[in-house]
Amino acid sequence: MPNSTSRWLWHGLAVALLAVFGASLYIASKRIDYTWRWERIPQYLISTEGEDQKAPFDGFVAVSEDGKQLSMTALRGSETTSFTDFSRVLVSNGDLVFEGDVLAKKDQLGPGPLLIGLWLTLKISALSLVFALMLGLVVGLGRVSKNPAARDLAAFYVEVIRGTPLLVQIFIVYFFIGTVLQLSAFAAGVVALSVFTGAYVAEIVRAGIEAVPKGQVEAAQSLGLSGFQTMRHVILPQATRRVLPPLAGQSINLIKDSSLVSVMALTDLTKAGREVVSSTFSPFEVWFVVALMYLLLTGVLSIAVRRLEKRFAAQG
Amino acid sequence: MNATTDTVLIEARSIEKRYPNGVLGLKRASLSVQAGEVVVIVGPSGSGKSTLLRTFNGLESITGGEIVVDGHVLHQRSADLRSLRQRVGMVFQQFNLFPHLTVLENLSLAPVKVLKLSAAAAEERARALLVKVGLSDKCDCYPSQLSGGQQQRVAIARALAMQPAVMLFDEPTSALDPEMVGEVLEVMKQLATEGMTMCVVTHEMGFARAVADRVIFMDAGEILCEDPPSAFFDAPKHERLKTFLRQIL
Ligand SMILES: Nc1ncnc2c1ncn2[C@@H]1O[C@H](COP(=O)(O)OP(=O)(O)OP(=O)(O)O)[C@@H](O)[C@H]1O
Ligand SMILES: [Mg+2]
Repeated sequence: MPNSTSRWLWHGLAVALLAVFGASLYIASKRIDYTWRWERIPQYLISTEGEDQKAPFDGFVAVSEDGKQLSMTALRGSETTSFTDFSRVLVSNGDLVFEGDVLAKKDQLGPGPLLIGLWLTLKISALSLVFALMLGLVVGLGRVSKNPAARDLAAFYVEVIRGTPLLVQIFIVYFFIGTVLQLSAFAAGVVALSVFTGAYVAEIVRAGIEAVPKGQVEAAQSLGLSGFQTMRHVILPQATRRVLPPLAGQSINLIKDSSLVSVMALTDLTKAGREVVSSTFSPFEVWFVVALMYLLLTGVLSIAVRRLEKRFAAQG
Repeated sequence: MNATTDTVLIEARSIEKRYPNGVLGLKRASLSVQAGEVVVIVGPSGSGKSTLLRTFNGLESITGGEIVVDGHVLHQRSADLRSLRQRVGMVFQQFNLFPHLTVLENLSLAPVKVLKLSAAAAEERARALLVKVGLSDKCDCYPSQLSGGQQQRVAIARALAMQPAVMLFDEPTSALDPEMVGEVLEVMKQLATEGMTMCVVTHEMGFARAVADRVIFMDAGEILCEDPPSAFFDAPKHERLKTFLRQIL
């Protein structure tokens, strides 16, 4: 084991290597004549663009001198209306406007496309994780069941799902099952991700159950516990501890895999990134930011699971 | 409790156990255990001692012969193993305590879930048993915080918490450091004195001599002889038993 000074030296070396790597990225981007425009990014995270105030009918507008009051008189008839909820007027006194024209804007802080995409990614991942855990538990129990039919079905499901690419599964769910059952793109995404992740969770659950020593089952049965009670009170609590680390890894995979749902009409973080790139022409900055946002999600999850593991480890 | 001595609790007639891989674990083994008796089973490794013991609570199914334990006919398909196991306590070589539960929870799990005792009643029963095995101060420990001897005493208490009619012990001291063997044997001796019916697989010949009503010698899946300890040890009848005793004593 290295002593503490040499350990710090090694950490220092790692940081230095990372710095060299970053610098070469920067130099490489100079070579291809790339101009970094980081200042364009914040508006896609947080937008100030607020609600529009639109003309309810054709007519003339009246704007006060100080621009604080805005009202309208109908072109035909004598209808009038005035507006109060706005921060910027876009028209001038006496303008003729038509129904639906934007007269004023209300500035408001709100989430930009990237944050909205992040929220969708979070939502779809969280929902899929819940279903995947339930599905995986049921199928995992099926894998170790005494009933051959349950074992066969569970094995079939796991093999089929693990043997085909997620992207293909998403297409099948979206275009085939989604059309038959009239699923929304969001529902199709949740279904595809849950079914995919569920197969991996099932294998984790099976391994966790099989890792509990046989003596535990024998002891429980010798005390007269039923098969269900043995599972519920003796095996699963012990398996839970063992499956926590691999489940954490699988959940992180789920968050990353969710980027594939962007092939459907779903604006998740990845799709939002693509849209922002096409309007900013700053692909490097956008993708770096998107990557960072994924890292944020997975990082928070890692920390949460590590906490949970510590709590479990506390008991004996 | 088991003062009536001529009730037969375990009656095994010519039982056979063939494992799925073809190994014959038991051959025509017959044994009858009366209420209140202490029967010690000895024999070389692989002779079928564990197999025999495990047929008594249905952990091992038999492939021939008949076996009746506390009125449960085990060789019939319809045997209700769960209700049998409430009457038969088992103590394992490796303790098999539930590591995720405290000592108190280990003892009260089955009484609450199987016997439907209230949590309070089960805890009361558990605490009384822990006093009996000398571990009243370990109620809230997890098994990993206990020594091997302490764990095995908890395992005995856990089995007793179901108030069984028979206790089975499969080499209860073989996994223990020598200095902890005594404390476990002491608890078992006390149980025997109280009249508990016990079947004990062990290599502790001192225990067999002092506590057993009968000692049984097994070899290659067969019960070769059974005798009171004095006759068993001092005047062994069977040639293979003589060899066995020479090796271990
Ligand atoms: N689950 C099993 N499957 C196949 N064969 C088994 C199984 N369990 C035991 N056997 C075999 O049955 C025979 C009797 O084994 P058993 O465990 O009853 O012996 P034992 O007297 O308890 O030995 P030990 O003193 O080593 O515990 C041995 O030959 C053993 O290999
Ligand atoms: Mg054995």
